[in-house]
Amino acid sequence: MRDRTSIHIQNLHKHFGKVQALKGISLAVDSGQIFGLLGPNGAGKTTLIRLLIGAIQPTSGTLSVLSLNPGKQKSALRQQIGYMPQSPALYEDLSPTDNIRFFGRAHQTGKLTQRVDEVLEFVGLSQRAHDPVYKFSGGMKQRVSLACALVHQPKMLFLDEPTSGIDPKLREAFWGHFRELTSAGVAIVVSTHQMDEALYCDKLAILHEGVLLADDTPSKLLWNSRAKIKIWRGPEVSEHEVTNYPAALPGLLQKEGLDNAISRIEVEEDRLETIVLRMINEQIGEKNKGDRK
Amino acid sequence: MIPSIKRMGAIAVRVLKQLRHDHRFVAISLVFPLAIIYFIKVVFDALASPFFDISIYVIPYAAFIVHFITFILTAIVLVRERTAGTLARMFISGYNQIEIISGYLVAYTVLATVQSLMVLLELNLLFELGYGIMVMAEMYLVMWLLSILSMALGMLVSNFARNEGQVFPFIPLVVLSVILSGIILPVEQLPEWSQILSYLTPLYYTNEVLQELIKGKALIDDVTLLLRLPAYGLIILVMVTVTLRERD
Repeated sequence: MRDRTSIHIQNLHKHFGKVQALKGISLAVDSGQIFGLLGPNGAGKTTLIRLLIGAIQPTSGTLSVLSLNPGKQKSALRQQIGYMPQSPALYEDLSPTDNIRFFGRAHQTGKLTQRVDEVLEFVGLSQRAHDPVYKFSGGMKQRVSLACALVHQPKMLFLDEPTSGIDPKLREAFWGHFRELTSAGVAIVVSTHQMDEALYCDKLAILHEGVLLADDTPSKLLWNSRAKIKIWRGPEVSEHEVTNYPAALPGLLQKEGLDNAISRIEVEEDRLETIVLRMINEQIGEKNKGDRK
Repeated sequence: MIPSIKRMGAIAVRVLKQLRHDHRFVAISLVFPLAIIYFIKVVFDALASPFFDISIYVIPYAAFIVHFITFILTAIVLVRERTAGTLARMFISGYNQIEIISGYLVAYTVLATVQSLMVLLELNLLFELGYGIMVMAEMYLVMWLLSILSMALGMLVSNFARNEGQVFPFIPLVVLSVILSGIILPVEQLPEWSQILSYLTPLYYTNEVLQELIKGKALIDDVTLLLRLPAYGLIILVMVTVTLRERD
């Protein structure tokens, strides 16, 4: 069977002097998947992306992207990946067409004029193709930046907080674009610190201070969290706290005795934000305990 | 990755397109040297003396002005590429060091060609230098080479600056180089310990060639004299290539 894994990371460490930016990260990303890197500022998301695109070298550990070593096979890798940095990184006195064409030429993309038109259409900027970028809003600049990352039809996209600072409507449109790309087989690694966005991902890695706290699908992360279940029998209410409530609920109802007297069942799930914060607090608690020892 | 002429050309075309839109940059590059030379003329007129040979000074001064403005502008433009994140994006898109440096050089050489021509024409017009066409052509070649070399130096400095502000500490070094180069005072009259520093400044080699041309020597008669500036430029370009790093 063909290996569908696009990224393998094993025990990855990255130090900047005395600062440990990543502490033993191991994870895998499949092709055709949106893989989210979630965590607060300084969690190590950008460092991880920069390691994956070969912009910096790891201190120790192994990583491969599309079966290539980003540190040693940088040129071959960069022909196959697209990268959208946090800030738009565009030539603002030039038009979207000029910007996209310029980055397309780096990859010596065939039928460049046609590709430029296609990506402009994809991000909805065909009408403004020849206006200078400095006249654009922040969201429009992000769309030009995405088009630059897509012009050479990469197999894999790295997006560093692509929707930061843009309005909710445009943000939704962006996630629509990402979903279209994964349907075409492109793997996407996207960093974000916005919890609501994380639910759009197929898989999530939660990072805090360079430590991988969890690596799972959003639904499993939610299921494995705590949920409060309230069962009403007339005016009487009993409260239960369970983990993985879809699995726990049938057993709980059997225990309670499922009969006509049950008038209402209410499930209060933890939100992803609460789960992430709890994980971070638990990690801080463990770290403090270790420091005291 | 092997440098590609096509990718280098793409960078040159992009820089030229930007120059076409950046009227302020082009104006500073072309008009400022002309304005400064005009005021030098005003000063020299005020100090006029029959024993004072203006040409010994005025052409090297003009060279210094071209060097100074080109150096600062190139350094700032490249630092701006770095701070805007476009330099990192160029690397990640697959452009390499040699393509980036040569792309910039090709584009700015167009500007240097116009700049050197305008400066020499103005000098000839204001100071009535009266040199023959061959001497003027040789002076133009020297000025043109200095302009390109100044870009290379600007690129080198930009590799060590994280923002525009970090370029400014290098300005006193460029100003100091005008004294060290022998333009104002012959190098032999400077303290012995400082003479070694003179050989590090591009203006020293520029002044050396220009003074020989003013005395009537033809560049073709002394090829080593002619080759000093390109050789200096090549060393700087190698240093630029080695120090240009993909970092934020």
